[in-house]
Amino acid sequence: MTADPSTGPSTGPGTDSAGAAEDFVFGRTQAEREEILLPELQQLTEHHRANCAGYDRILGALGIKPGGAGGTIAELPWLPVRLFKHHDLASIPPDEIFKTLTSSGTTGAEVSRIHLDKAAAGDQTRALSRTLQAVLGKQRLPMLMVDTPSVVKDRRSFSARGAGVLGMAGFGRDHTYVLDAEGRPDPEAVRAFLAAHGDAPFLVFGFTFMVWQYLYEVAAEHRLDLSQGILVHSGGWKKLADRAVDNAEFRARFAADTGLTRIHNYYGMVEQIGTVFVEGPDGDALYCPDFADVVVRDPRTWREQPVGTPGVIEVVSTLPKSYPGHVLLTEDLGVVHGIDDGHWPGKRFSVLGRLPRAEARGCSDTYAESAAGPAEAASADPQGEQAA
Amino acid sequence: MIISPRFPAGPDRSLTGLLDEMSGDVPGGPLAVGDPRMVDFLTAFGRTLLDPALIRRHPELAPLGFFLRRAELDAQLARLAEPGTGSTRVLRFPRGLVFHIPPANVDTIFVYAWALAALTGNRNVVRISPRSGPAAELILERLATALQDAHPAVAATQRMITYDRDDRITEALSAACDLRVVWGGDHSVASVRRAPLGPAARDLTFPDRASFAVVGADGWLAADPAARDQAVVGLYNDSYWFDQAACASPRALYWVGDPTTAAEARTDLFERLAALLAARGELPDPAMAVHKRVAAYGEAAAGRAAALGFAADEALAVLDLADPLAAPRTWLGAGTFPTATVARLADLVPMLGRRDQTLSHFGIPEDELADFAAALAGRGIDRIVPFGAALSFAPLWDGYDLPREFTRLTTLGTVPAQARR
Repeated sequence: MTADPSTGPSTGPGTDSAGAAEDFVFGRTQAEREEILLPELQQLTEHHRANCAGYDRILGALGIKPGGAGGTIAELPWLPVRLFKHHDLASIPPDEIFKTLTSSGTTGAEVSRIHLDKAAAGDQTRALSRTLQAVLGKQRLPMLMVDTPSVVKDRRSFSARGAGVLGMAGFGRDHTYVLDAEGRPDPEAVRAFLAAHGDAPFLVFGFTFMVWQYLYEVAAEHRLDLSQGILVHSGGWKKLADRAVDNAEFRARFAADTGLTRIHNYYGMVEQIGTVFVEGPDGDALYCPDFADVVVRDPRTWREQPVGTPGVIEVVSTLPKSYPGHVLLTEDLGVVHGIDDGHWPGKRFSVLGRLPRAEARGCSDTYAESAAGPAEAASADPQGEQAA
Repeated sequence: MIISPRFPAGPDRSLTGLLDEMSGDVPGGPLAVGDPRMVDFLTAFGRTLLDPALIRRHPELAPLGFFLRRAELDAQLARLAEPGTGSTRVLRFPRGLVFHIPPANVDTIFVYAWALAALTGNRNVVRISPRSGPAAELILERLATALQDAHPAVAATQRMITYDRDDRITEALSAACDLRVVWGGDHSVASVRRAPLGPAARDLTFPDRASFAVVGADGWLAADPAARDQAVVGLYNDSYWFDQAACASPRALYWVGDPTTAAEARTDLFERLAALLAARGELPDPAMAVHKRVAAYGEAAAGRAAALGFAADEALAVLDLADPLAAPRTWLGAGTFPTATVARLADLVPMLGRRDQTLSHFGIPEDELADFAAALAGRGIDRIVPFGAALSFAPLWDGYDLPREFTRLTTLGTVPAQARR
């Protein structure tokens, strides 16, 4: 989650002049990605080596010669995403930093710092717009926010949730909040929104657990008709696991009880800002936009897992030019379900959960353990899945 | 102020009640230093740990079991004998109430310190962390078993409790105790120290420490293959038992010798270690594997590691230090060995200081080690031990003689002062 509210589209997705077909970003087969993305990614590796000393030192220490990185996307050298929490890695000089994004660190000390120059900030905004247009269309739709307006009010103490809400706001118009300023469900506001906009497509956005707790439960109880809605949500399933709600259950119950069927989960992180992996219309898996890819790796050998075998997710994107984040090993577990065999071409995959935090069984943590307990911190983190 | 009694186990209760109970009369009279009631209990407990099935699962419990044999305890007590001076006798007594705050995750270390405090006749309250591991649970089970046949004085004087971080409980125990034993990092020590002690009480602190391993390159190559394999097993035990996070586990490994010999010895040692890891099926879980990559890449990004090598399915990571004397003291994950070569052992002296605890060694002559210790002159390194003994607890720990720290002295003179003129 970006803590910078201005990373969302400033003009909204409806203002691009190019036609929908040529802008569609879920069109490349896996072979096309290897052919088109690989040279770009290799160039990015060399670009970051030339411009980020820390990155060059890592590749050098791994014995990778300049120009010798990766004959396939899966062979490209990766960085662990948590490295950005401990090291300032940028490929631009300090005076060209236009914007620094921070991740939703729950412990305060551990936040990633991602530096963008003007060009990179523009690139990520455009990329996100084009990605979401694939499911939203080019029009700005009336928008139902599954959150409280308070979450974006105080910009000084901006929360990750607030940043996500504000970042998405640009994709809609006539925003209505599902919760009131005190965080209580406001069925009357939703009813009024539906009376005004419920007969034509409208956009619904929120974090997965909030959408379930405040939109599904309220809509089901008040028999609200959400059949024209397009829901975009993110944030992981951990909090819903207690209620035995998984993605299939989530979709089935929304469809049966509210008529809402156009549902798109998405997966992304601030360390690869602008790149989001979006659930296809069938709800079967997440798909990669054309400028991105995923590689699921075996944590013992780091080799790519075969289709169907879970492992650690690596996210690949040609967007990161101002910092070496084009090939990142996440701390999420996932599985590729198939390649070029789904609704859209390329790999389709699921996120299965988060790796637990490696903990030292050391002598050096006795009494200080509980102030910011790692267990609580992990549960408060929305699985590292971020709105852009 | 509610605590959970873990030994003797019982329902949650108030700390005040527990402290009141502990200040009452002890059945059979107060405990003395080396009290037979306590020695019997400790040896019975030690025997329950020397159970082959238990040791297979938790090899770190075996040394604890041996440590609690009667002969070993008697030897510790014998060391405490005070000759006195002239006509004055010196009598040794328990310090009183000892409050222990052991490390959360090194499951066995608290048992050693507690056992020595109990052996010397103290009343003890040990805070067991809510995050303690499976070995701690087993230890509590075995303590309960041993308690069944123990003298009631044991149950009356020894308590292990769990409470979530609660400053009021720590404050009450700190105010009540005569000695507070704090393990853990600098931060933990500082945090506990905010709770005042009584005027006559004192702290025994075990803050952040770092440790290193050294190998004589010539000595390594001169050793026969069996001795090298044995040394590798020792290094493995020192490093992998507590995910290399124990303060006595080596944080870096140094070669002493000329670069060519050292390179040859290094290749041989890490090949043997990789083979051992493969044979033992030692595999890091995915979170640890990722953590090791994060830590190693971070050392490279910062320019502290010039080369990174990963082997044995991520169970082994070897980092070449860019500057041999800038060794990392932070935890880099289980099975991560920053390494460098120095010409002479004495070259390490300038980088070592108070926070450095254990030097484990192989293939270095004893007089060279003694010269090294003399050059350090007590500024750092409290223990110089052979490979495989880094984690062996000793009553002399971190520069303290624990049985002496757990007791106090009363002098008894009988000859009137004027008669000595």
